[in-house]
Amino acid sequence: MANAFVAAFEILSFGAIIVLIVLGLGIIASMMGIFNFAQGEFVLLGAYITYLAYAKGLPIWAGMVAAPFLVGALGFVLEALIIRRFYAAPIVAMLGTYALGLIIRESVRGLIGGFYLTVPEPIGGSIDIGTMHISAWRFTIIVITLLVMVGCYLLLSRTSFGLRMRATLENPSLARASGISTPLMYGATFAFGSALAGLAGALIVPVFSLSADLGIRFLIQGFVAVMVGGVGSFIGPVAGAGVIGTLSAALPWIMAPVVADVLVFVLAIAFIKFRPQGLIAGKGV
Amino acid sequence: MSKSMSAVKQAIPAELGGETDVAMTERVAIAQAVAGRKVLPVVEGVVLVAALLAPLVLQDYLTVFATRVVILALFALSFDLVWGYAGIMSFGQALFFGSAGYGVALLARDLDITNIFLVLPAGTLIGLTFALLLGGFLLLGRHPSSVIFVSLGTLTGSYAADRLARGWYYLGGQNGIPSISSMTLGGYEFSEGPAFYYLVLGILIVVYLLCRFLVRSQFGLALAGLRENEQRIAFFGYKAQHLKAIIFAIGGAIAGLAGSLYAFHEGFVWPNMVGVVVSTQVVLYVLFGGSGTLIGAVIGTVIVEGVSFWLSDNYRDIWPIILGVLLLLVILFRPLGLISFVLGERERVGSFSAKRKEKRNAAP
Repeated sequence: MANAFVAAFEILSFGAIIVLIVLGLGIIASMMGIFNFAQGEFVLLGAYITYLAYAKGLPIWAGMVAAPFLVGALGFVLEALIIRRFYAAPIVAMLGTYALGLIIRESVRGLIGGFYLTVPEPIGGSIDIGTMHISAWRFTIIVITLLVMVGCYLLLSRTSFGLRMRATLENPSLARASGISTPLMYGATFAFGSALAGLAGALIVPVFSLSADLGIRFLIQGFVAVMVGGVGSFIGPVAGAGVIGTLSAALPWIMAPVVADVLVFVLAIAFIKFRPQGLIAGKGV
Repeated sequence: MSKSMSAVKQAIPAELGGETDVAMTERVAIAQAVAGRKVLPVVEGVVLVAALLAPLVLQDYLTVFATRVVILALFALSFDLVWGYAGIMSFGQALFFGSAGYGVALLARDLDITNIFLVLPAGTLIGLTFALLLGGFLLLGRHPSSVIFVSLGTLTGSYAADRLARGWYYLGGQNGIPSISSMTLGGYEFSEGPAFYYLVLGILIVVYLLCRFLVRSQFGLALAGLRENEQRIAFFGYKAQHLKAIIFAIGGAIAGLAGSLYAFHEGFVWPNMVGVVVSTQVVLYVLFGGSGTLIGAVIGTVIVEGVSFWLSDNYRDIWPIILGVLLLLVILFRPLGLISFVLGERERVGSFSAKRKEKRNAAP
């Protein structure tokens, strides 16, 4: 019983991490049609900013709060300078963002060296339920992920900003004709997606130690999750992330980790092949 | 596919995007005028002469490096065929390169087979088989797959293979398979050096010529049409998906050949060889050099590898950053690659129609 509970918690917390990482990726892919290869590096930057705050003696949570804003600002600048040129061509966008990611990743590698740096958990210790112990920080991540998910959903479905964002996605020329500044909306969307990646990086760095390849590890899982969930809506990628995260955390409990690892990808690709529109088809929120 | 392309073109009304007869004749005239001073054969000739002379002027350790570059150029050629000519973005080309490498490494380790006439065909076959399986799955089917799906599918395939190779004890896990014995021909052993270099160069030249013939054939023209406008090619009655799967398989076979040569040249294989790192590296080569020209892939490989070798002593840490910046600049400002500085768009696409038309006019 206790074992099963611990396993369930592990699976849930890993699923939450994947959801957190995929949120930004999914918003950018769905709203802008760009598969952002630099997303992993935005996660890395968020983690690095948190590490910097810790290394400079600031409280860790200060770094975690700052990370999304700084990464979001960077995303806004990059969108205006570079990403904007790629909207017409999805493949070129992949290559361009890949180049951007390469620059960011190697710069961070140069800054931290080849080390694995650790950042302590801001909320340490464990929560005890009877005889079972679960990590307090992982529990916090689950809670924050839920809050962020609800927040994003409300932002997109209930605010005028969300309405304009969706209008821009659905019909850019009509949106322009209605007085919405589509370039600004694209910039804001990209910045928002980047900020979410920064937040994800900041939150997961105590769990996984900081190394230059932190982001790339999640990137492909993120892409697969977005495709499984379905591009074009907010809910789709989140659902996909839930499925992929749960599967990749759950399967290693019942089979050899190597096989599980590969099996998740094979299953996902096969699923997308036969249902290209993903779990949740259609536009909307 | 027997119909000549130019005849088909004339049959399309102008509204559909086809050219009128006047525009056609004009373009043919331009093509004929340009035909007198072609740049592409000159570029190819220069590269060939430089490649032939390289071992004579290079020191031994540089010849070893040059051999590696030639093998990678062969690998780049396979990607150029797939992306530059058929417009299939394969982010997983290393899957075929690496699995062939692993395959021949296992042949050498477990079965003691190192004969060149066995291992190279075996490697090619492995690449071909994997490409047929993956390409068949990703490209064929009731509904044509989206470009995004194919590129992410190949990327995922390559990543999954990397993870598999890392975790599979039989394949050596993280360390890969070290100290593969040399490739042999009868009693002769190919070890690093000029002999290996010329062997690899000879293979590259043969494959290059075959590719060149292929892309200048009717099949190649159909591929180019596929790249420019897949829907229209499908409307002409071509089986667009089948064409794609065929070229993907050919690309996989070439990558497999390159991978088996690489395994024997380096003497070991390791998981990165099937993974995302090598997959994206080959994309870099081709984008730098210029996709859709074949020779651009070769030049791109030589430049990227050459500069990285040259810088690696002093600037090893910042080289990847420079590479990223350069790549970004090329994508933004020179989408056709470095070769587009000397090669016009007209020649890149090819001037088949001009020649064919001349012949046909002369015949009756």
